[in-house]
Amino acid sequence: MIVSFNNVRKYYGSWPALEKVDLRLEEGEFVVISGPSGAGKTTLFRHVWMGDLPTTGTVEVVGFSSDGIRSGDLPLLRRKLGIVFQDFRLLPERTVFENVALPLQVTGTPPKAVRRRVFELLADMELSHRRNSFPNELSGGEQQRVAIARAMVAHPVLLLADEPTGNLDPEVSRKVIDLLVGINRAGTAVMLATHDPRQVPAGAARFVYLDGGRIVDPSYWDGYDQL
Amino acid sequence: MIHILQNALREGMLNIRSKLPTFLVTVLMVSLSFMVFDIFLLVSWNLEYALRSEQENVGIEVFLENRVDEAEALRLADLISGMEGVRSVYYVSPREAEAVFRADMPEQADMLELLGPGFHLPASIQVSLLLEYRTAEKVGTIARTISGMEGVADVMYGEEYLPGLTRAVSVLEKLVFLAGLVLAISLSLVVANTVRLAVAHRALTLEIMSIVGAPAWFIRLPFVGEGMVTGIAGSAGSLILTWAVSSMLSSTVPHRFLPGNWILLILALGAFSGAAGSWIGMRSGFRRPRR
Ligand SMILES: Nc1ncnc2c1ncn2[C@@H]1O[C@H](COP(=O)(O)OP(=O)(O)OP(=O)(O)O)[C@@H](O)[C@H]1O
Ligand SMILES: [Mg+2]
Repeated sequence: MIVSFNNVRKYYGSWPALEKVDLRLEEGEFVVISGPSGAGKTTLFRHVWMGDLPTTGTVEVVGFSSDGIRSGDLPLLRRKLGIVFQDFRLLPERTVFENVALPLQVTGTPPKAVRRRVFELLADMELSHRRNSFPNELSGGEQQRVAIARAMVAHPVLLLADEPTGNLDPEVSRKVIDLLVGINRAGTAVMLATHDPRQVPAGAARFVYLDGGRIVDPSYWDGYDQL
Repeated sequence: MIHILQNALREGMLNIRSKLPTFLVTVLMVSLSFMVFDIFLLVSWNLEYALRSEQENVGIEVFLENRVDEAEALRLADLISGMEGVRSVYYVSPREAEAVFRADMPEQADMLELLGPGFHLPASIQVSLLLEYRTAEKVGTIARTISGMEGVADVMYGEEYLPGLTRAVSVLEKLVFLAGLVLAISLSLVVANTVRLAVAHRALTLEIMSIVGAPAWFIRLPFVGEGMVTGIAGSAGSLILTWAVSSMLSSTVPHRFLPGNWILLILALGAFSGAAGSWIGMRSGFRRPRR
């Protein structure tokens, strides 16, 4: 088990963003988290990479527990995760190569090994020709692929993708989802948050529905009306 | 370990390069703030220097009675040179006194002819004192002891201006220290705030660094380094500007530029306030996870 939420509650002031969340994720699994806007998907993800800590309950991720995690452990936890956001969050003043190389450079990987790994990954993602471009010179789909490359470069155990297709048109979105499915087939666990679970092929993933901060039974979920 | 350190330094360079215009404006602002400090130091340094060299001239002139011959005068000089606080003594014979007089005041040389061959300027002993004895009180004590000696006709020292000079030097020293301290503190705050604002634009960099698992020191080092470089470049710029002003004025107002250790002090203050500003600016960008 690489992720485990045990009766997690999260309050922002008196506002409940997560209520009694229990969730487990096995190594190599693909979990899709769906739910309407404000359901708590981003909040749930922030708890996985421990950008937030639960108000009550515990979160355990790749051997680190939210109970008594020290700030010195946070980098060690995050090196085992790859994180992708809806708005890409690439550093605008760096080239594609530099953006993708960052997670390796912060751990002191020798430059030769960094080049080898980044070139290999950019080739896999059909971005080799773009390696010296800056993010603002790329299309949205290309930027998101660069962000995914950055998330995957250090061989994470778990890839977290919070609405990675939110800013992309349907055609490009499908390519990004296919990429995530491929990454999962190659052995990496994936957590994907999306408004629209129909993007993901039914057999490829386990589906979890959030509403008002609670995990709900999908058969009662009427969120499709809101899509 | 080597690679990660290299990368941290490269991060700092990347930060500066990517925001070069911002960096230059920040450096300029730091330079202009520091110039106020530099000019203050320059003025007080020159004032103090002037007063000190005034004090440098403080000594005692011991005039001897006419009946004292050279051998006795030298014995007396020996005696005085053994006294506490005396650095050196110099015996001026009547002949030498006359030569000095003629050289210093050629227009008044006729006066000596007028007084006739029988007249001699009195022999004297010039007493120079150790620096810490050149205060009104201590010079007075030494002078009184000497005036009581056998064969001494008169003793002269700067009785009128010495107390004022002593006071002026000590007041100035305290003033420079206090004003310098206040200026240094306010300056550090200005520089720190300037650098803080420049760093605040890097919130995204801070966030991404922390998300990809960079250790805290790796994230901080480039920022603090950038702050230090900004502070040093700014204070160095201020020194260049001040030096330019100083050399423009040097023909009309003769003065000396700041000594080396004061320059180092200014650069160190720049480095410190820049680093502090980065540190503060970065803390507002760092969000610790909360429960
Ligand atoms: N830092 C915060 N402070 C206060 N309230 C917050 C904070 N972050 C989230 N919330 C609230 O918590 C609830 C869940 O937000 P969250 O961002 O997790 O939803 P989401 O499912 O990701 O929505 P979306 O699909 O729009 O991204 C919302 O009501 C939101 O307003
Ligand atoms: Mg969200």
